[in-house]
Amino acid sequence: MKALVTGAAGFIGSHLSEYLIAKGLRVVGIDSFMDYYPRSMKESNIAGIIRDQHYEFIEGSLLEVDLSRLLAGVDVVFHQAAQAGVRASWGRSFKVYTDNNILATQMLLEACKESPVEKFIYASSSSVYGDTKDLPMRESSLPCPVSPYGVSKLAAEHLSCLYHRNFAIPAVSLRYFTVYGARQRPDMAFHRFLRWALEGSALQIYGDGRQSRDFTHVDDIVEANWLALEKGQPGEVFNIGGGSRVTLNEVVEMIKTMVGRELEVHYEGVQKGDVRHTFADMTKAEKKLGYRPKVPIQDGLQREYEWIQSLVK
Amino acid sequence: MTISQELLDILACPKCKGDIYLNETKDGLICDRCKLLYEIKDDIPIMLIDEAKPIET
Repeated sequence: MKALVTGAAGFIGSHLSEYLIAKGLRVVGIDSFMDYYPRSMKESNIAGIIRDQHYEFIEGSLLEVDLSRLLAGVDVVFHQAAQAGVRASWGRSFKVYTDNNILATQMLLEACKESPVEKFIYASSSSVYGDTKDLPMRESSLPCPVSPYGVSKLAAEHLSCLYHRNFAIPAVSLRYFTVYGARQRPDMAFHRFLRWALEGSALQIYGDGRQSRDFTHVDDIVEANWLALEKGQPGEVFNIGGGSRVTLNEVVEMIKTMVGRELEVHYEGVQKGDVRHTFADMTKAEKKLGYRPKVPIQDGLQREYEWIQSLVK
Repeated sequence: MTISQELLDILACPKCKGDIYLNETKDGLICDRCKLLYEIKDDIPIMLIDEAKPIET
């Protein structure tokens, strides 16, 4: 079986590619190395597999490459590529989001009409829910994103459903809830907190720290993708959470225990686009995919801490 | 090490979508129509129009 992984040099795409190769799949990875964070980090993400005989990697943009050739012989698409960043999605930079998150997905779905695949798995996001008070978040809830990023992810998710309904593209969407773990992007909370803690700097938190997230370890996300390949019903959308809903202040307490000292914390203003809480109802993913998160927050945070230690040294 | 035939088979010029081929030094892919060279660095073909080098004729 041959898989195409888009965003293959990114945080999730690189872990997923490794997992698929270990499962015996041939993998074609594509990544445009967008400059949202340092290229060197993405290069090191794929360093372990770049020369694997079952792996091919292309530096390219989905907006430019010949997608029908790229899909030749591909059985499954794991579409992880996206312009990330909730806070950066306002203003003039929104075009980057519409191009890379919406248009690129539509082009890939179009290409799948001519080059049929067994499964098209789209990496959606909990940001599609917005600031709902209806917790836990259910797939049947009305999505109401509060950031342009969330709007772009929802639009691409809807496109995936549309292409399933109209052209029988076997698209399955997974709504990832705040993913963390080794290789996490440097702009994400755990990465920043752990780095600051190791460097002896004060931790900066947007808001009062009582906002909560359903943090999901990248290993669980990768596993969910595999389950979606095996069991995901085309046209369906699934919440993929970590089963660990904690506040940022609780995360800080865990980091204090890990580093063995007090940490200075500065509270900054709430950022536009940030939601107050996320909490996944995973009844559907458990029932239909057999998904159950395996990595508890303490273990996952410890593993990311050890990875950040290796970077800071 | 250079890129595999399997990978070459799925690549096309991102600008004109036409065929490309490996240059003699095997460190780049050439599109004759667009007269562009797409470099291969560390075994990675860089298939970005903005990164392509014009070929002198």
